[in-house]
Amino acid sequence: MHHDNGIWVGSEDLMRDEAFAKSSQSEFSVENIDQTDGKWQASRRDFLKLMGFGLGAATIAASCEIPVKKAIPYVTKPDEIVPGVANYFASTFVNGSDYCPILVKTREGRPIKIEGNTLSTVTNGGTSARAQASVLSLYDTRRIQNAGTVKEGSVTKMDWAGLDREVKAKLATGGNIRIVTNSIFSPSGESAMREFVAQYPTASIISYDAVSSAALLEANEKCFGFNLFPKYKFDEAAVICSFGADFLGTWGNPVQQARDYTKGRKVAGAKTPKMSRHYQVEGYMSLTGSNADSRIQIRPSEMGAAISALYAELSGNGGGPKLNDKAASAIKKVAKDLQSARGKSIVVSGSNNVAEQIIVNKINDLLGNINSTIDFNGASFTHSGDERQVAKLIDEMNGGQVATILVWGANPAWELPNAEAFKAAFAKVGTRISLNTNLDETTLLCTHAAPTNHFLESWGDALPVAGKFSIIQPTIAPLFATRQAEHSLLVWCDSPNLNSSSEQPYYEYVKANWQKDYFPNQTKYLTPDAFWEMSLHDGVHEVPPHDITVSFDQAVSVDLNGVSQPSTSELEISFFETVNIGGGQYAHNPWLQEMPDPVTRTVWGNYLSIPVEWDGVNNIDGWMGLNDGDEVDVEVNGQKFKCSVVKNFGQTVGTVAIALGGGRQAGGCGVSHGVNVNAAMKQENGLTQYYGVDVKVTPTGTKDKHFACVQHHNSMGVTAMGKEEGKVINADEKSLGWKGFQGSLTDRSIIFQTNIKDLQKLEHKLEEFHEESTHLNSQTLYPDNIEYFGTGMKWGMYIDLNSCIGCGACQVACVSENNVPVVGKKEVARHHEMTWLRIDRYFYGDLENPKVVYQPMMCQHCDNAPCENVCPVNATNHSMEGLNQMAYNRCIGTRYCANNCPYKVRRFNWLDYTTADVWPSNEERVFHVEGENLPFYADNLVRMVLNPDVTVRTRGVIEKCSFCVQRIQEGKLTAKKESRAIQDNDVRTACQTACPTGAIVFGNTNNPESEVSKASKNAGALAYKVLEEINVRPGVNYSAKIHNANEELFS
Amino acid sequence: MLLKRICWVFILVIVASASLHAGPSKEAGKELFMANCAACHNKNMKDNLTGPALAGVEERWSAFPRKDLYAWVRNSQALIATGHPRANELWAKWKPTLMNNFPGLTDDQIESLILYIKEPGSGPVKDGPKVEEKKEASLPWVFIGLGGILLLLAFALMRIVDNLANVSRAKDGLPPIERSMYQVLTTKGAIAFLVFATVLIFGYKAVDNATRMGREQNYKPDQPINFSHKIHAGVNKIDCQYCHDTARRSKQSGIPGANTCMNCHSAVKKGTISGTSEITKIFASIGFDPITSKYMEGYDNWSDKQIEDLYKKWIGQEYMASNSLTSLDENGKDIVENQWEGIVKALKDDSNGKIQGPIEWTRVHNLPDHAYFNHAQHVTVGQVACQKCHGKVEEMDVVFQYSTLGMGWCINCHRETEVKFKDNDYYKQYERYHNELKSGKRDKVTVADIGGLECQKCHY
Repeated sequence: MHHDNGIWVGSEDLMRDEAFAKSSQSEFSVENIDQTDGKWQASRRDFLKLMGFGLGAATIAASCEIPVKKAIPYVTKPDEIVPGVANYFASTFVNGSDYCPILVKTREGRPIKIEGNTLSTVTNGGTSARAQASVLSLYDTRRIQNAGTVKEGSVTKMDWAGLDREVKAKLATGGNIRIVTNSIFSPSGESAMREFVAQYPTASIISYDAVSSAALLEANEKCFGFNLFPKYKFDEAAVICSFGADFLGTWGNPVQQARDYTKGRKVAGAKTPKMSRHYQVEGYMSLTGSNADSRIQIRPSEMGAAISALYAELSGNGGGPKLNDKAASAIKKVAKDLQSARGKSIVVSGSNNVAEQIIVNKINDLLGNINSTIDFNGASFTHSGDERQVAKLIDEMNGGQVATILVWGANPAWELPNAEAFKAAFAKVGTRISLNTNLDETTLLCTHAAPTNHFLESWGDALPVAGKFSIIQPTIAPLFATRQAEHSLLVWCDSPNLNSSSEQPYYEYVKANWQKDYFPNQTKYLTPDAFWEMSLHDGVHEVPPHDITVSFDQAVSVDLNGVSQPSTSELEISFFETVNIGGGQYAHNPWLQEMPDPVTRTVWGNYLSIPVEWDGVNNIDGWMGLNDGDEVDVEVNGQKFKCSVVKNFGQTVGTVAIALGGGRQAGGCGVSHGVNVNAAMKQENGLTQYYGVDVKVTPTGTKDKHFACVQHHNSMGVTAMGKEEGKVINADEKSLGWKGFQGSLTDRSIIFQTNIKDLQKLEHKLEEFHEESTHLNSQTLYPDNIEYFGTGMKWGMYIDLNSCIGCGACQVACVSENNVPVVGKKEVARHHEMTWLRIDRYFYGDLENPKVVYQPMMCQHCDNAPCENVCPVNATNHSMEGLNQMAYNRCIGTRYCANNCPYKVRRFNWLDYTTADVWPSNEERVFHVEGENLPFYADNLVRMVLNPDVTVRTRGVIEKCSFCVQRIQEGKLTAKKESRAIQDNDVRTACQTACPTGAIVFGNTNNPESEVSKASKNAGALAYKVLEEINVRPGVNYSAKIHNANEELFS
Repeated sequence: MLLKRICWVFILVIVASASLHAGPSKEAGKELFMANCAACHNKNMKDNLTGPALAGVEERWSAFPRKDLYAWVRNSQALIATGHPRANELWAKWKPTLMNNFPGLTDDQIESLILYIKEPGSGPVKDGPKVEEKKEASLPWVFIGLGGILLLLAFALMRIVDNLANVSRAKDGLPPIERSMYQVLTTKGAIAFLVFATVLIFGYKAVDNATRMGREQNYKPDQPINFSHKIHAGVNKIDCQYCHDTARRSKQSGIPGANTCMNCHSAVKKGTISGTSEITKIFASIGFDPITSKYMEGYDNWSDKQIEDLYKKWIGQEYMASNSLTSLDENGKDIVENQWEGIVKALKDDSNGKIQGPIEWTRVHNLPDHAYFNHAQHVTVGQVACQKCHGKVEEMDVVFQYSTLGMGWCINCHRETEVKFKDNDYYKQYERYHNELKSGKRDKVTVADIGGLECQKCHY
């Protein structure tokens, strides 16, 4: 099936679906506009009524007195706070195994934005969507606000002293004590736990992770003697083969790995274009798989067979389970590639089967990768959980052997396959103390709540990687009467090292630990105080790790029978973790809920991803004839759940997939969004298996009324089969009727892609294209503005599509920086999402096994902007610095601009999402967290997250990316105050600083020495502008997507 | 005027410090002293004020290298932190009173100060640059005057026309027509003109009033403390940015915290006009006992009664002292009661149930949320005098909003104001303008020329 440019968005545009073409031609979606429950019908009389009311209201409003405002200074102004100037504090984002050194931006003492800490050599300033969104969870209205006893779904307040007395009395009665946590890699936290265990010798620690790596850790223990996550040097690997490991999104330490991975794949601007080759063997399309050069599709139960097949090929020892022929022949070619890159390749596996992980280790050993690309020097301590301990705990609890249980950060009553068994056993424990922040599923079953602080209110430290320490420091006093968990543990064990009379006891505890343990091991600072102060300032403290060389223990035998056995069942299912919701830990964060999943592009919940079926000629249908949003009943492992489906290219035929983390039952805004699938997973040898066989899917015949997938929203034009013409035509062109005219978009230049071996061909093609565009664009009567824009600064951006992995950190950073509202699922379903920056996902290549390119798309700040010409009130216009400006208070909401924008990046405030205006009646339809009376943004607690330098938009106005103009203005002012030229690091946009891979570069394009100028120049012909030929003169350069697929793989 | 001059001198000191090299002089020292030091250090150099008497400073520091003294003046806290013995000795004596930082002072300037401190006697003071007072011609009156003259002319012409017509009629033997005023005013032309003029005037007025909606020019609210800028900035010549110290570095100019007030008022405990009635409010806010000159421990947990007893005692004591009484008379009791009520009224309201804590001032200048204004841009970079927008605050007892703060007012200033193009290296990038200035094609670069009229300079 031919397609222009070889790229597509989904099956609708591939099939030239007529209804879709029609809907794409109209600017605003009308498909859900009738979902008004009959409330929005207006008659002529209503119109007159509203007119009269409006007139009256305006008159009254005009004659109202202006309210008296107060200006309240400090009594004693702290020296470090200057009202109106942001302070940055180095800290560390830690949640379960997630780790990110950060800088916290605070304004007048409020944390409002997370930036990456560039001093860390672990992340080099990169962040993740989860880290970016973590600031919002500080202002979660559902946090537990005081200590107390838990009864009937609520916390009855107790003072901390009272709680301490009660807890200590219970602990003193003897009996076994268990502390349930996720992976912990905080030296001081562990020290606190050690003290606790020393005081109560019957205590022990149970640690597990919501999404497990237990098998990998055990295999590494057996093979190399370390139960650690090694450092995978993706930057040095020439060939990467991943068996279902989502190492760019969720597996291991994704921020670090993504950075390393893209280092090996930057082609544009490189002197000798060279890139790694990445194979991904998987059943569903993961974020990592979507970035792979070649995907080998298997059913999830074939994972063991696939790993065995590669092992057989490399070692000559066959005998594993049988793999399907197509994949088996592909694996042989992968083996050849890997062998040709001995010592410079990486094989990883996301499986939770010890035998498989041992084989993977053996493969790496055979390839000579151990100590080379797989290095235990930089091994990380971020993963240490083992769900088998929980199973043991359940037995103990059932046997009445546990007297007291403490739950800290974990949620075992929900996030495990055996959560029901856990719950039943949990009830048999006498004293159950929760140290969690929210009233989640486990806390509800507890007897006592001792809520811990949010990490932005806490002291602490982390040791994610050997030799790389970092500090967590509070950026605000605890908002509620909470106390951090480590502090509570130390109080309960009467620690002699905790100075309870001090103002911040745990601060002194951490500081003492650092000065005692780490100060002697460094030579940079001479006094313990200087060491602590500077470490606190930097946020990180790094010392060279010990040199560790490991060798594969040859006594460990490869057990080909221990691997997963391929199933003969008709349908299989994969369960996967998403970059935004994780295993469900992040389900209560609205920013992450509203961030589209990079691959399926769905929001607010989890959906069953189904394969598409191509009849080989002209038709692409959803599996079983299902369409997006159709509801189905799913039965797997004896568990039933109902969900809606989303068609997904790249999903292996005969398999479906669903994300974890949906259907939370308590604790916040994630409740009732999506469906809980944890119980549907099986455990083998105590290890959770993230797939299931013998799956039954029955369509219910109903449709999800609010199916929210942004895949086809804001599509940039579409082609369709013309009825009269009998061939493919351009729908825009048809509607315009100006065939051949450059304004009617015949061959859309949105994505350019090629295999690296054809790089020169693409360069020639692009050179011709640039020439043609320049020619077309010069055919104008209007004078150009070279002199005008050449004076002073001109802002521009460069986005390397080869570095963009689609992780979404930029999108959340943009939401956080620019006060972009959360609109909720229903509004997204109506195409009303407000995100200024979207990440378009395009498929290309083989229809049944396509590749993906992600394209961050935001306002292109066109110098000849079509939106500006059509605004009747001149609310959007151009600045001499090349910014497409938007003056909200001038906008009257005609939406002509959005209609005329070829990139579809303008967003309209259909409702009063931020509750900025004064009419309460407008608040009814905007996003509410379920069970809350106030709209999300009306709560003063939530509003603390707003950036005071960016206007909160009201209903009825257009908004869009401003190139972070508030940062531009701030950067310029800094330079002016210092009487110097403006530099690159004065102005960095929120998306740029958030990006873990450095895909986005921003700066002054008038300065040939700026990063952005150099990047665009180095990319040469590969740098292009989207829709370059239509003479809108955008300010954003993209570089073509280059892949390194093995084209003989399936031949 | 003097204050303006001082403002200018102050700004000049900051700006010129790098470029001007004239060597130390006593005259320069005097100017610097008046601008920077006189707020805290006694002008007679012999007595302590908020800060110590400065006479003999050279001798006291003679045991240390000169650069230590420089470092002290520029940033005393930094020197204290290094453990400098002299610095710590001073700090032990004077803490918690902080000395302001003067990082912009050059060595020469500090030498000038030392010269002046040595002999503070009179010396010729150079005149600072004068701020030109522009007398704006009141345009409406010009137009009204012109209109009147034109109207008179019209009547005169009408008379002449009528007379000429009558002359010609007389020639033809016809009787002259005498038109009354009423007849003239009821002609079609006159009525049409009147209707036109009415529509024009009312239309103009309607639009004018509509754009003024929400503006608060001359807004002059009551404040919890009868604080007089006239006394502080006018009579005592305290620099604006001594109290509003964030104006030069932040978006907001900043309302000083009570601790800033205490820099002076821990010594100046009574006002010359208000006596104890106003300054005691600051004490009650921050918890300063004026009788023992100490900050009170745990003041935050004091009961209202405790606070009342303390400050009533202070007010009464001062009343008795100034009236040479040994016990309070009736009038004195009234005064104590009234002043205490004033304190409670100023510091305690519905939103703030405690006397302790911040003073809630009423905000005078209110910009709408969608307009972004940055003081640092205007004060530090643009070097605009505070008075340009805020009026002669140093002459105001109660501050009011001097300017309209309307967008037209902003825009006008941006059109007229020249950018400090040559002094600031930031502007080097505007090469075209520099070339045009050199070639004479352009005589100035205004804020508008570098994009100062664009929407997103203030709205984002």
